[in-house]
Amino acid sequence: MMTTLSHYKYVFQMQFLRNAGFLVVMMLIHILISIGIVIGFTYLIPNPDTSTILFLATGAPTIILIFTGLVVLPQQVGTAKTDGYMEFMRTWSVKRSVILGADTAIWLLITIPGIIVSSFVAHLMFHPGYDISWTIIPALLMIALTSIGVGYGFSYLLPPAASLGISQVVVFGALMFSPVNFPMERLPGWLQALHEVLPIYSMAEVMRASLAASAFDANMGNYINLLIWCVLGYGGAIVILNRK
Amino acid sequence: MILDVKGVTKVFGDGGKSRNMANDHLTFRIHEGEIFGLLGQNGAGKTTLVNQILGLSTPDRGDIDLLGESVIQSPARARSICSVQPQSQVPIGLLTPKQAVSLMGKMRAGNNFDPKRVGALFDALNMQEWANTPGEKLSGGAQRLTSFCMAVIAPGNLVILDEPTNDVDPVRRRYLWQVIRDLTNDGTSVILVTHNVLEAERTVDRVAIMHEGKFLAQGSPSEIKRSVSNHMRMELSLACEPADIEIPGCALSAHQNGSRLLFSMDPANVPPAIDWAKDQIDRGLIMDYSLSPTTIEDAYIALTSGKAVG
Repeated sequence: MMTTLSHYKYVFQMQFLRNAGFLVVMMLIHILISIGIVIGFTYLIPNPDTSTILFLATGAPTIILIFTGLVVLPQQVGTAKTDGYMEFMRTWSVKRSVILGADTAIWLLITIPGIIVSSFVAHLMFHPGYDISWTIIPALLMIALTSIGVGYGFSYLLPPAASLGISQVVVFGALMFSPVNFPMERLPGWLQALHEVLPIYSMAEVMRASLAASAFDANMGNYINLLIWCVLGYGGAIVILNRK
Repeated sequence: MILDVKGVTKVFGDGGKSRNMANDHLTFRIHEGEIFGLLGQNGAGKTTLVNQILGLSTPDRGDIDLLGESVIQSPARARSICSVQPQSQVPIGLLTPKQAVSLMGKMRAGNNFDPKRVGALFDALNMQEWANTPGEKLSGGAQRLTSFCMAVIAPGNLVILDEPTNDVDPVRRRYLWQVIRDLTNDGTSVILVTHNVLEAERTVDRVAIMHEGKFLAQGSPSEIKRSVSNHMRMELSLACEPADIEIPGCALSAHQNGSRLLFSMDPANVPPAIDWAKDQIDRGLIMDYSLSPTTIEDAYIALTSGKAVG
């Protein structure tokens, strides 16, 4: 137990410090993007009502988490594969789950300032009606772990070029064609059906239910959906790391 | 005994046309404090073998014991017994060599890590000037030395070095070989993977020459040389196109490497060969020549090119 903890500490330091410049820049970009989603969409939608603003304001954190887990992370994994660092990590005398855990914590850390700052800015500018429940902590963790886990799963599984392609589709799809910043009903039936399976809708629902508890509700299905994707993602990543 | 590799076979592909016998019934042992050279061309199967020793991939047939226990049964144990310098550069990013090496030492040795060893290693390799330079600003040679230090800071029982001297300047190469020698004094064994044959000859205790997944020869460098020939070799620095030079009839095997031309001959033919070489100099075809007993490079070339010399 003690060795696992100290391994975790050193792996975390190794992974964080070697990439510190990039991570800090990413953290700042996340702050900009999340503020941008709330403010930018109000340009797209003239005279938005409070419920529209609330959708945007409670959607922005989900977008940040999706962006981190499914776009930035797969690109980093692709780089690590290409320059041989991934193969080097596989030779370390620590458990693979320790490496995955330390990396997850780093990704989680760089998203949190963006989420807090953007929510604060949205609140000051629009008063959209946040009603934050204590469930925000487990909800945030669950969404982040799902997003990061799925990102690891496919970027470990696929060659770098393929996962780069997927991440490009995800960033566009999540922003424009996913019920994150607007209600599900606006999408055509087949996209609704798709989003019942994919984790993005459930992430958005769970996040909303915690940020504006009096206005939104997440159902059990959303939590189960996230749990399944989370397990699939991390399970897949561990299997691939241990693959021979 | 540290390592016991027994009949390891690894095949890639589906058994059809793309079938590639990467390792073909390899058997060898490494004892405590021994430096074992694994020589072979690109694609000979050296890295495949190393990955199986580390438990990163599983042999299709055969077994590997590390300190008496099967790697296949406990691959995680293999990773704590072995430390590795990979062939590719290790991108340490913003970490300085000092930080990267210290973190690796702590990760491997835990509380037994001795921070003084970092400074001692850097002194031994004369790399203190870069100790606090971020990795992305380091030259290729300094990066290579850093990843070498990461492998040997807390070495475990077996250190696997894959082309450790690539990019490293000649002076520091010597320091590096000395550090490797010092490691073995503490009982650590070393596997040295390289295609830099001449350099390895001076350092390794035993060597295996690998070609297309098989060991062509195994033994001490002098045993290998003797197994191939007791020939003399002549090395020429060409001043003309290699095609313009007519290799003398006494040459038993010839090999060209850039503007170097090497051939071997029976010791009895040395006097006429010298006359021949002088003549070539007079005609301006070669710049100079040297004569030496067979090196392991000759043995290596003779073995891997499939030529019967001897």
